Amino acid sequence: MSALHAPGFPEARIRDRARFGTASVFPAADGYGHTLFGADGATAPADEIDAMRLVPPVFMPLRLEKLIDLAREPMYGDVDLTTEIGGFRSSLPVYVSAFGSTQVASTDLGIAVSRQAGRLGLPMVIGENVVPVNGYGRIGTGTEKSLVGRVRAYAEAATGGLGGVVVQQSTEDADAEVWNLVYSDPTATALLETGRLAFELKVGQGAKPGLGGMTVLSESAADRLSGQFALDRVLGDGDRLLRCASPGTFTEEILRQQIRFMRNNFPRVQVWVKLHPGRDIADAADVAWRAGADAVTVDGAEGGTGWAPTAFLDHVGLPLAECLRRLRPVPKLGSLLTSGRMWEGTRVVKALALGASAAGLGRAALLAADTDPEHGLTRLTEALALELRLLISALGKYATSALDPEDVWSPTMTVPQRQESLI
Amino acid sequence: MSELPPSSPREHLSKASTRHTLLIQNAIIDATRQHLTAQGFTELLPPIIGPVTDPGGRGSKQVDVDFYGHRYKLMTSAILYKQASLTAFDKIFYLAPNVRLEPLETCNTNRHLAEFHQIDVEIGGATREDAMAVVEGIIVNAVRRVLTTNAADLAALGRDTTPFTELLEWPFDRITHPQAVANLRDLGYEQSPDAEIDWQNEQHLSAKASRPFFITDYPKGSRGFYDRENLDDLGRLRNFDVIAAEGYGELCSGSEREYDYKRIVARIRESGENPAKYGWYLEMARDGIPASSGFGIGLERLTRYVAGLTSVWQASAYPKVPGVVSA
Repeated sequence: MSALHAPGFPEARIRDRARFGTASVFPAADGYGHTLFGADGATAPADEIDAMRLVPPVFMPLRLEKLIDLAREPMYGDVDLTTEIGGFRSSLPVYVSAFGSTQVASTDLGIAVSRQAGRLGLPMVIGENVVPVNGYGRIGTGTEKSLVGRVRAYAEAATGGLGGVVVQQSTEDADAEVWNLVYSDPTATALLETGRLAFELKVGQGAKPGLGGMTVLSESAADRLSGQFALDRVLGDGDRLLRCASPGTFTEEILRQQIRFMRNNFPRVQVWVKLHPGRDIADAADVAWRAGADAVTVDGAEGGTGWAPTAFLDHVGLPLAECLRRLRPVPKLGSLLTSGRMWEGTRVVKALALGASAAGLGRAALLAADTDPEHGLTRLTEALALELRLLISALGKYATSALDPEDVWSPTMTVPQRQESLI
Repeated sequence: MSELPPSSPREHLSKASTRHTLLIQNAIIDATRQHLTAQGFTELLPPIIGPVTDPGGRGSKQVDVDFYGHRYKLMTSAILYKQASLTAFDKIFYLAPNVRLEPLETCNTNRHLAEFHQIDVEIGGATREDAMAVVEGIIVNAVRRVLTTNAADLAALGRDTTPFTELLEWPFDRITHPQAVANLRDLGYEQSPDAEIDWQNEQHLSAKASRPFFITDYPKGSRGFYDRENLDDLGRLRNFDVIAAEGYGELCSGSEREYDYKRIVARIRESGENPAKYGWYLEMARDGIPASSGFGIGLERLTRYVAGLTSVWQASAYPKVPGVVSA
């Protein structure tokens, strides 16, 4: 465990899950029999999704269907969590989000996460700037932390045919030709041949909508990157500089053609597009899907593992709930992926009920691997899977795709009126 | 799995078939130089490295060169320099070496090399149709020359020359990209209307043809930013490919060029790049570069077609097949 911290995020509970796995889904078992349990009314919800409640009905026709199918009463273990995520098959409606080149991710954690995600059959996104900042690793030494190290670690562990690797590229990465590098590299061959490689066009991110990637660099690292990125001495007098990537200019036509270009140039990969929570999120997702994107990722304003101005963290971008509301009328021609404060079952199930196909673990995956590099992410995921099964079965459903908005209730949402009987 | 080149350069170079092939290639080069020079073209020597090169497509990777601490590229094609050259001459050509680290899957297509040469032509003030006429002239002239002077080489390689009788009756047929997509779908093959024609599909179309033909009007998003968009039919490019007959596939790509600064910047963004890397080129474009059309004919591919070879590497003295370590 390192000095990694995630203020404002339930770090202790995530580390608990990384240590104790499924046991941490429940109150401490040794309290059973002499403690009275109940809802903790003291914790204020962090956002609208957290404020929503999952609302199991009394009458459950889909449970009846499952009962007929099984010829016995269904249990939570009968929930099928396998989900199609952007052209991949995943063991859970969950993928590992990009955490890029931030210093916390550029240690061995990147490799540790890759190995576990591969073993678990969860799709994993490798973030922008990994190549410009950490190197690619095809020719050269000591670059296990780089992109090729992560791809190899994942591919070696992912023996079950599930999951896949998603390589992100932003505008600056195009100079380094990240996608071309991966597409012509022998390390990626096994993934390409099994349809488990995707490229993600990074349009924006939740932590700083409208801005490009930002990292803090030392003077020596900054010298190496000075030709590629804007560097700004705004962090005081120390040895630290702010490195900014350009956000990239997008119009409908630019986004449409960039996606078509990806489809044209890399016909054997899946195409993902990551959007920041902009006010035109519905139009942007519509353009992306119609241009042929297999997945659109919406990073809610709650998301982010990286460095961002505090003004952006607290005040810029639409919350995830509002994004999902605006996306509701858009014909979903591919997967809709969501990220932002995801780590436990209820938020994932609510996102799925509101239209998402899957949810991304970002900070939670990093914290879990930081707690235990060998098993942390695995235990966190096992706890999450158990919780998902408990919650989805409680709603009388047995597949992730069966969830819909009737499964959630919001104190701020207008209650639909009952239809008047025509008789 | 197609046959790969011998690992020893001696074994490849000492084969009679290699010698016959290179003699045919030599005749094509000589005929083309004479033909273009007679039409008023100036031959320039092409650049080998530069701060930026053709971004290309279909997943091929550029080769980086350390140029005194700056990242330079080996030319994947000298297209940007061709446009720049028109500030000195109206009609230019190169016999240009290109290096592209093509995806590994192309090692079995029989028509990809990581190192190859192009007959690279650019014509100031020309329309697409003007450029297509020049392409036809080059191919027909080269075939005529080889039939005249290299009959023994063709015979030694077992090339059936009867299909060339029809080729000599130009102009070549032409179909649009949407027509090519429809033809392929009629034949039962899948083909995206928004993308380049797949390698296999190009081969299917080529196999049904008895002489080379043009495919025109590719969709935007399938080609580089320098192919000019048709402003009367947005989303379509004023470009063309030449597809050989008898299943030999693509020989040449060409187009009218974007030359308006604003349009070039927008098109660069549509291909996902930061215009900053094209600094010298954009500076020239901002000051004005001539309207033009041009094309590049793959010399080894043209040789393969004329000589009737199984694989394009057979038309190279020092073949570099994608992903295969060689001399």
